[in-house]
Amino acid sequence: MTAEKRKTINVIKEKRTVNPEVQEKRKEYVKLKKLILKALESGEKTIPQIAEEINIPIGDVTFTLMSLRKYGDVETGEIDDMDEYYFYNLKKK
Amino acid sequence: MSQEKNQKQYDVLVIGGGIAGQESGLNLANSGYKVLIVEKDLSIGGKMIHLSKVFPTLDCAACITTPKVSECARNPNITILSNSEVLEIDKKGENEFDASIEKRPRYVIEDACTGCQECEEVCPIVVDDEYQWDLVGRKAVYIPFSIANPRVAAIDIENCILCGACEKVCSADAIDFTQEMEIVNITAKSVIVASGYNLFDPTQIERYGYGKFGNVITSMQMERQLVPTRPYNSVLRPKDGKMPDNIAYVLCTGSRDEVVGNPICSQVCCMYSTKQAQLIMGALPMADVTIYYLHIRAFGKGFEEFYQQAKGMGVEFVKGKIGRIAELENGNLKLRYEDIHEGVVKEAEHDLVVLSVGILANQLPRDLFKNNNLDLDKFSYVKQIDELSNPAKTSIDGVFVAGAASGPMDIPDSISSAGAASSETASYLRRSK
Repeated sequence: MTAEKRKTINVIKEKRTVNPEVQEKRKEYVKLKKLILKALESGEKTIPQIAEEINIPIGDVTFTLMSLRKYGDVETGEIDDMDEYYFYNLKKK
Repeated sequence: MSQEKNQKQYDVLVIGGGIAGQESGLNLANSGYKVLIVEKDLSIGGKMIHLSKVFPTLDCAACITTPKVSECARNPNITILSNSEVLEIDKKGENEFDASIEKRPRYVIEDACTGCQECEEVCPIVVDDEYQWDLVGRKAVYIPFSIANPRVAAIDIENCILCGACEKVCSADAIDFTQEMEIVNITAKSVIVASGYNLFDPTQIERYGYGKFGNVITSMQMERQLVPTRPYNSVLRPKDGKMPDNIAYVLCTGSRDEVVGNPICSQVCCMYSTKQAQLIMGALPMADVTIYYLHIRAFGKGFEEFYQQAKGMGVEFVKGKIGRIAELENGNLKLRYEDIHEGVVKEAEHDLVVLSVGILANQLPRDLFKNNNLDLDKFSYVKQIDELSNPAKTSIDGVFVAGAASGPMDIPDSISSAGAASSETASYLRRSK
C-alpha cells in the first residue's frame, strides 16, 4: 500500500506540466528568502533596514519576511525607539 | 471526470456552508431531516469564521462560529461536501430535485489526513494566502486556516511544481495525486439557497488606489490583522511593516454608489468599521482613527450605543465624501475629501487607509435551476416573493432562501433568516409527505 501510494506524483506528472511562471515565482521567492535570512545573520533588523541592505522593494521584503515568520524561520523582536518598526530575528531551531 | 453511479437521497440540499447554511442545516438535521451542505470552499464557516469579533457585543466571532461548524460536521444527519459546487438543479416534480454537484480534487485523502502540516513544512512554494487576504504567503499544499473544518490539507495544483516532497514526507499516506474531478448526483426533496454574498472589489474605484498603494487595504484585510491568527505580529502597514498611528476608514466603498452599479447600503460597513476602530484602539492605544462617512446607519439593537461608545473612546467621525487618495513618498496617504458639514474641500494625511467595502449579490443561484426560473430582485439577490408572511419563500416551490443570498444583512439577521428558512422548509416537507 505504502509503496503504491508514494508513486502518485508520477501519475499526475504524466498528465500535467508545471507552469513556467510558477517556477519563476519559486526562484524569486527562494532568492529573496536567502537574502533576508542572510541579512538577519548579523543580528536583528527592521523591515526598512533589511530592504535597504539587500536593495529589494520594501513591500516584497514585508511579504516574504512575514511568510518566513509564519513558517517559523523568523521571530519578532522588540519595537524600535520611535515605536514604529519591529525588529526581526532568525529563529533558533 | 468520473460519474458517481449511485444517486444519494436527502431531504434538504443546502447550498452554502456559511453561517446561514449551517444554521438552517442544523435546525433541520436536529428535527430528523437528512441534510446535504455543499460548500464551494475548502472549509465550511463562510465569511464569519474569518472575522475577529462581532458587533455590537464584541464577542469573539470564532468562538461563536466554531462550535456551530463542529456541530455541523458531527451531526449524523448532515453530510458536508466541501470544495464542491452545485452545477445544476432540475425540479422533476413535487419534492424531487435532482442536483449535479462538482466535487473538486483536494489531492489529499480526507479520512487519512491528520492535519499535522508536515507537508507544508517541506513544500517549496509560497503564494498569496487568500485566507489572509493576500497579506502573507501560504504553501502550495496547505491547511486553509487553523480552525478550518474539515482540518485537512489541500494541494493548490495550479501552483504546485509536482516535486512530490509532500507525498514523500506524509506519514499518513494521505497525499493522492490520482484524485480527479467527480460529478456527484443527488436527489433532494427541497433546496435552501444560502450562497451568501460577495465583497466589492475596490480596484474598480481607481481613485482610491487599492492595489496600487501598498498602504490602502480593505476592511477584510484589517479584520484579519485583528484576529489572534493574524498574518503579522501586530497591526502593521503591509507595504513596510510600520505600526500605523493615524488610520482612516472610507465608508461606503462600492456601496450606495450608482457609478459602480451598487446603489444600496451594505447594512454592515458602518458598524464593522466602528467595531474595528474600537479594536484598533485596544491594539494600538496611541493610534488615531478617523472614519469618513456619508451617514451613520446605526439601526440595530445596541448600534447607536456602540457608535457613541466609539466616539467616547476618541474615534473621530468626519462626514465627508472622499474624492481621491494619493500616495506620498513615505508611504502615507493624502485624502482629498468634501467636508459635508462645512461644505468645503479639505485634505488630510493618514498612514493607513482602510476601505470599508460593500456587499454584492452572489451570482451563483442565477442560472442554477434547469427548467425553472429562480426570480431575482433588481440587485440580483434571490427574490423573497412573500417577504412578510414567508420570508424564505422563492419563486420555485420547495426552494427557500437563507441569509445574505436574499440581500445584505448582518450576522444576527442572517441567523434569523436561516431560522425562517428551516421552519418553512420543514413545513413544506411535512405538508407534502
